Amino acid sequence: MRPTSRRATANKGLPFSSSPLLAVKLPAWRSRFVLFAMFAAFLALAGRALWLQGLSTDFLQKQGEARYARTLELPATRGKITDRNGEVLASSVPVKAVWAIPDDVLEAPAEKLRALAALLEMPEADLRKKLDSDRNFVYLKRQVEQETVDKILKLQIAGIETRKEYKRFYPQGEVMAHVVGFTNVEDSGQEGMELGMQKTLAGVTGSRRVIKDRLGRIVEDIAAVREPHDGRDLVLSIDSKIQYIAYTYLKEAVDKFKAKAGGAVVVDAKTGEVLALANLPTYNPNDRAVLTGAMLRNRVITDTFEPGSTLKPFTIALALDTKRVTPTTVVQTSPGRLTIGTATISDSHAHGPLTIAQVIQKSSNIGTAKVGLQMQPQEMWEMFTTVGFGQQPKFGFPGAVAGRVRPYKSWRPIEQATMSYGHGISVSLLQIAHAYTIFARDGDLIPLSFQKLSTPPVGQRVITEKTAREMRAMLETVVSPEGTAPRAQVPGYRVGGKTGTAYKIVGGRYVHDYVASFVGFAPASDPRLIIAVMVDEPKGAHYGGDVAAPVFSSIAGNALRALNVGPDSTVTSIIVPANGPQESM
Amino acid sequence: MSGRLSVVMTILLSCSALSLVNAQYQARRLFIELERAQSVARQLDIEWSQLQLDQSTLGKHARIEENARRDLHMVPVTAARTQYITGEAK
Repeated sequence: MRPTSRRATANKGLPFSSSPLLAVKLPAWRSRFVLFAMFAAFLALAGRALWLQGLSTDFLQKQGEARYARTLELPATRGKITDRNGEVLASSVPVKAVWAIPDDVLEAPAEKLRALAALLEMPEADLRKKLDSDRNFVYLKRQVEQETVDKILKLQIAGIETRKEYKRFYPQGEVMAHVVGFTNVEDSGQEGMELGMQKTLAGVTGSRRVIKDRLGRIVEDIAAVREPHDGRDLVLSIDSKIQYIAYTYLKEAVDKFKAKAGGAVVVDAKTGEVLALANLPTYNPNDRAVLTGAMLRNRVITDTFEPGSTLKPFTIALALDTKRVTPTTVVQTSPGRLTIGTATISDSHAHGPLTIAQVIQKSSNIGTAKVGLQMQPQEMWEMFTTVGFGQQPKFGFPGAVAGRVRPYKSWRPIEQATMSYGHGISVSLLQIAHAYTIFARDGDLIPLSFQKLSTPPVGQRVITEKTAREMRAMLETVVSPEGTAPRAQVPGYRVGGKTGTAYKIVGGRYVHDYVASFVGFAPASDPRLIIAVMVDEPKGAHYGGDVAAPVFSSIAGNALRALNVGPDSTVTSIIVPANGPQESM
Repeated sequence: MSGRLSVVMTILLSCSALSLVNAQYQARRLFIELERAQSVARQLDIEWSQLQLDQSTLGKHARIEENARRDLHMVPVTAARTQYITGEAK
């Protein structure tokens, strides 16, 4: 027990300075070791601070922010497409894409899956096939409407998620299909104006960074908002009423003659705006499950054909313009056959001597060829290219074709002769309609537009005003009982135009199928509309005057009435006296 | 003297701090309100385009013509049955 008692006494009574512990000599390395350890600890702390504050600060701040800040995508809506009167032709509506995490969904009870399949309008087997996948993300169905989505979410199946997207609706359906076109599920244009104007129609999605609170409410913006820019709305030149008229009567003719296809285009002669453009066969852009290439084809713009006689007025106009002939110059077309070199051309009926006006009225190939051969190939070529044949069109429509006019240097006389009446040259229907503006407009050519214009464009003079008037008078005789298209007459209005009947070329050879066409303007006193109609492979009749002219007549009559154009021909009219209408008439 | 000043300063400081808290609270509350109003605006926008679509679908010329023919027994006007009323007597 001695040592204990000794320590106790030492604690009690000894002053610090005389403590024997101070006298103990420790080795020097022990204090140095403690000093070093402490120094090392501080160094470690400083290093850590430097690491956190200096080197990994970005990473840490990001991690911190990720716990409360969110980046939201601000969706932009694709612009609407409307017709010239503001009627909506295409509009985007938000819908949902339904997707699934397969493993989670498959745990749901069978009757729920059956209900899900019914809501998604797919057989249950298909649904299970889709879910039988190793992936974590499977689209079940895209572009599902909100009502259906609400029902699906009500089923409360684990692993079913939705994502916002847009669906494009086309209320006018097949009537407008070729002009408006359509978009794919990614909301980008695939056909028609949807494709042509993709850049301005598509919006730019924006984004914003925000702080969200515990309940997911947005509390504050923490960075400048990148505003979304909605796509710009597009106002087309199309008038949906006239479009419907054109479509209805074209369809009637195509059905009646069991034709393979047809096209019609209506152009405003004053402004160059395309008021209607109809194609058959067509498709419903809202339901594209059964699309074929033939349905998609926009024949008016992307198909070329040998126009035949509808081109004769250009040859005659050139001859009139260069003062080689006058409307009363007589050309001998008897005996209805003409041999040039080794080839022979003929008229469908022999006519004998005809004036130039009658050549147009009766559509004489020989008469036109004789006039055409008086001209230099270069002059004719210039005429054709000036009015746009063989030139890449600037319609602002995707897929517009140039057609084909061979360089004049390689023309042989027989080719020049056939070209004068529209063979050996290929154009699209829209190009012909465009070219006819020179007759409908006192000799100048204006560009066509698919978008509504605020100011009429400036024309480019091609033929003199006098020639244009003479041509209009000649073209008006075509629809007289002695002409080739009396059935193009429109009650109440004076109209003019030209028939065309051309053999089709398949694989470089002419076959016994026809393209019947009619291009004309109305009313003839002051043309407002240019209407071109083309019917491909009609059965039963094949002349332009029998097949296409009646379509022209119906479209012209109804469209002029729709546009409130007063009649310029003899009609019964009630004259309202200046002092107002009276009861007794 | 300096004791009184510091008391005043303390009171001012506390007031300022409290008003900051209040301002921040108000800002967040208004912000949430703005958010809500904006989302209502978006919703109305969507509804508007939906209604426009409906209008266009229901006002389709094909549908009007069909209804006019079927329900109202209307027929297209022909030139023979048309009389034009001219504005001025001559």
